[in-house]
Amino acid sequence: MLKIEGLSFRYPGREQAVLDGISLEIPAGGIFGLLGPNGAGKTTLISVLAGQLRAAAGRIAAGDESLQGARERRPQCLGLVPQELAFYPMLTVLENLRFFGGVQGLGPARLRERVQAVTEFGRIESVLERRAGELSGGLKRRLNLAIGLLTEPDILLLDEPTVGVDPQSRAFLLESIRAIAGPGRIIVYTSHYMEEVQAICDHVAIIDAGRVLLSGTLGEVLGAELGADRDVVSLRLRVPGPEALARATEAARAAGCEPLGVDHGPRDLEQVFMQLTNRSLRD
Amino acid sequence: MRRLGFLWLKEWLALSRDVHGLAVLFLMPAAFIVIMSLALSDVATGDAGRGLEFAVLGSGEKAARLAQDIAGGGFRAAPAPANEAAARAAVSRGKPALVLLVPAGFQGIFEPSATGTAPTLRLLADPALPGPQLAAFQQRVLGAALGTPPEAMAQALDIEVVGNPRGRPSAVQQSVPAWLIFGMFFVVLPISSLFIVERRDGTLARLVSQRVPFSMLLLGKVGPFFLINLAQAGLMLLAGRLLVPWLGGEALEPPQRWDLLLAVTACTSLAAIGWGLLVAVCSRTLEQATVIGGVGNILAAALGGIMVPRFVMPETMQRWTELSPMAWALDGFHAVILRHGGAADIAASCAKLLALAAALLGAALWMHYRRRGRA
Repeated sequence: MLKIEGLSFRYPGREQAVLDGISLEIPAGGIFGLLGPNGAGKTTLISVLAGQLRAAAGRIAAGDESLQGARERRPQCLGLVPQELAFYPMLTVLENLRFFGGVQGLGPARLRERVQAVTEFGRIESVLERRAGELSGGLKRRLNLAIGLLTEPDILLLDEPTVGVDPQSRAFLLESIRAIAGPGRIIVYTSHYMEEVQAICDHVAIIDAGRVLLSGTLGEVLGAELGADRDVVSLRLRVPGPEALARATEAARAAGCEPLGVDHGPRDLEQVFMQLTNRSLRD
Repeated sequence: MRRLGFLWLKEWLALSRDVHGLAVLFLMPAAFIVIMSLALSDVATGDAGRGLEFAVLGSGEKAARLAQDIAGGGFRAAPAPANEAAARAAVSRGKPALVLLVPAGFQGIFEPSATGTAPTLRLLADPALPGPQLAAFQQRVLGAALGTPPEAMAQALDIEVVGNPRGRPSAVQQSVPAWLIFGMFFVVLPISSLFIVERRDGTLARLVSQRVPFSMLLLGKVGPFFLINLAQAGLMLLAGRLLVPWLGGEALEPPQRWDLLLAVTACTSLAAIGWGLLVAVCSRTLEQATVIGGVGNILAAALGGIMVPRFVMPETMQRWTELSPMAWALDGFHAVILRHGGAADIAASCAKLLALAAALLGAALWMHYRRRGRA
């Protein structure tokens, strides 16, 4: 388990904290979805977890020891897949994989073995000799993910790994990520796409303005009683047709109720998210 | 060390695929060396008097004799103007650059005329004429007037210039090291552009998250660019040795101590790479890096005696050149190529360049950690 307690971070020269006392428990063995609008602090939290930024306050524990201690003992225990396509476009796919594996200290035999494994995993065997900059968007994302898996990390941080890909590549990536989740492995997944998080994550935290608004299993989050819901009642109806729906709405008005909206199907994560963060458009 | 090897290999592969960047690093200094070696050849060798025209205005056999005796040694007699006014008008146009006015009744410098006073020779000179040429002409006039052939006067004093036979660099001795240094410092552009692209694309963040120390990332740039600088040095020396003479200029004499040349080149390279790393860390965009790196180099070159040879600068300006690291490097190269000096002669230049390299690398690390909130 990754336990985050009271984590704060402020960029130099800025008054407002990007992370404001965040506390989270991220269990192993599943995928933990981190949701939040732009500027909520998701990427900063990932950067602190990855060791790129140092938190002003708080601690992060990996099991019984601090995350920093764990990484000093086993530097390869954490992998990061940033939202940028973080590889060298002028190098071939194979050169990129060899470089990132080698620079992380994989020995020659292990490097060969891992390059082959992640190549097969990402289904990028056919483009190994091509320059990375010439790949399609989907292949670039697959290479980006493959590089993050070179050291078989116990903790994998995925920062919006499906941005800008076509539906087929997205489905492949989601399937792949789901496949690497397993006992003992911690996967943190950030995304703007609610349906993605709902589809693959077991646990979810919604953060905004550097604070955790809601955290729990996907079921807990979807079933949570939200403050704004107290005077709002959801009445689930099986409606035979549009005319019946219009009459039901009129009947509600006649009873002094104000219909707020009509949703088809069950409640989804996006509704919860929008209600919590209270805005639909962020700069 | 193995991890550093991977960083060097990556940098080398990335560099080798940037054909345009490499072309700038090698072709630009080579072109400058050829052009400036040929352009400055007359100024640097002091042979600008070759074919310089003068005239002697005066009546009588003595004036004609003077004109005949003065001619030579780079000075050529031209037809005399009609009178002094015509002579002044001609000199003001620079054709001829010199007119010697011989008074009537002139017999010799120390011989009085019929009036009892020694008539004075007067010389009208073009203001654009360099001082050394004027002095050389003056010497020939005095020799001719005293009845001593100018060549004999020159032989009367045996001058030995210790080191470089000319006492100052020839065009090729000035241009090869100067434009080599300029080209070496231009690694600032590929270093900073590669680094900024790494930062923009998130590869730098990924490497930091993989616990690759930032100092190692910077050292990862040093090896490949050091080799590039050495290759630049080799090719520019070859250009001075083979290409310049093939195009009609003077050939560069090889140094007596190649080890010292390597030492100066290495120190210059480290200072140039340090400069590149600082610009890379400080600049937020490629445009910023291009402006800071490019303009910084041009200013350092203008100040450091790269664009204008230091020996033609006034004394005050020559003192200002000490502010430019390119001048330190040029001193080091001249100590080896020009003065054939020893280790002690390059020690100061090398020490200054190494101190600068260390300071620039330290500043780059400090800037990085300050920005990351880790200072």
